Amino acid sequence: MIYVRAAIFFSLVLGLISTTSVQAQLVSDMDDESRLYAETKQVNQFFRRFNGEENDKGDRYDTKDRQYQSVKLRKKYLSMLFDASNAGIKADLKAQFGKDVLEGTKPVILDFHGGNWFAEVHTTFLYNNKAQTIILFLTLEKDHLGSKWVIDKVHADMFDPYFKRDTTKVGKFLHPLSHELDFMNLRKAFQNSDSVSQFAGKRFVADHLSVFLYEIKKGSLKFKTVDEVKFHFFQIPGWYFELAEFNRPGNNNGWLISNLVSLKSESERNILRKYLYYETK
Amino acid sequence: MHAIKYVYALLLSVCILGQVSAQKGEISPSRKQAIDSLALEKVRDLSKYISIIGNKKTPFSEAQRVMDRAEELFAPDSEMGVSSLNRKEVNYYKVRKYFERLMALNYDRVSIEWYDIHYISDLERQPDGRYVGVVTVYQRFEGESDDGLKYKDTTKKDITIYVERKKTQIQGRIIEFWDVMLGDIRVTETSA
Repeated sequence: MIYVRAAIFFSLVLGLISTTSVQAQLVSDMDDESRLYAETKQVNQFFRRFNGEENDKGDRYDTKDRQYQSVKLRKKYLSMLFDASNAGIKADLKAQFGKDVLEGTKPVILDFHGGNWFAEVHTTFLYNNKAQTIILFLTLEKDHLGSKWVIDKVHADMFDPYFKRDTTKVGKFLHPLSHELDFMNLRKAFQNSDSVSQFAGKRFVADHLSVFLYEIKKGSLKFKTVDEVKFHFFQIPGWYFELAEFNRPGNNNGWLISNLVSLKSESERNILRKYLYYETK
Repeated sequence: MHAIKYVYALLLSVCILGQVSAQKGEISPSRKQAIDSLALEKVRDLSKYISIIGNKKTPFSEAQRVMDRAEELFAPDSEMGVSSLNRKEVNYYKVRKYFERLMALNYDRVSIEWYDIHYISDLERQPDGRYVGVVTVYQRFEGESDDGLKYKDTTKKDITIYVERKKTQIQGRIIEFWDVMLGDIRVTETSA
């Protein structure tokens, strides 16, 4: 108890010292300030605004506060969470989305650990000293005491030519009695590296993540920079939206919904997912 | 002064002590505010140090001393990732290198001010049990040369904070407390 009392005393005394000596010079420009308050500064703030869990200053509401997750507050925030310059997101689509999210029997809340959302990160790597774009898809995964972002998939245009093949033509093949000759014709199959992918099965799908890891381990792929980050959300039943960061003058700034799609079926959802992952099968 | 500040942080942390779930190392939501304050305190210290390091009137030896102090706020291996409106590519600097570059900027007068705006994220737990959060602050920089050349920008700084449960011995008693360290910082130029 005595330690706690002493601690409180020192905190108060030294707190006074620190507030007088430590304070850095502050900017007093109201125009800039209002812009910065309006900006959705972090993805975390997007979650909190979407869910109606903080006030105008960005301070969290207590879960018992009547404003916490209130429909009125969420309506106010939701209207500012769209990229206003994107005419592709029609007003009636936004209205329907707002209705589904806020006015259903159970309001829809975004859950950071709820899955069904992932990051798309455009990066530049040097491949044999030539700059190449590689897209990483990351997802949150539980691990030991907490969670972490992990690379779930990778797409790189530079890998595509290695796996390209025309399945409409007969092309090269290992004839059906090759086994009787201990597959001695493999020698001819592997003679020409350009046609080697023709010997893979129909269901073969190139796994860019494996190639990516292999090339890094081999030392031929070196990280350079992150170019762009965006997020894809499938967490709201019947909807997909994209979240991107906008850095421009005005108040419609920061992390905003940059694309919105109403999904009518599970198959539509799967098609869109595959499209986002650059998957053709 | 440094020692005093450390004691201050430590004791403030002790205040937080009673508000943790001792068994699981979890932070009660109502007490997260105390940790937020400690994190903000460190961020404000960093802001002050950056202003001193960037100030052309700061003597070299004083700047070196402040850089040492500033470096102590950070977890080992922390980096600054810097990009600008014209140059999207992120350049990565070790914290010390970043400070040295700031000190060496080729202006005769430099003004570094901070907006009275901050945003503190929720704390998330990492696999190793430490908590991680991000504090966002904004800085206005103005540099001017004697030949009249002027440059100004506003940068957003997203600062990683690590919150870790530590133990110390005071007069034979083991005291547990939450400590805050700064980590990687992403610096982006804004259009403000």
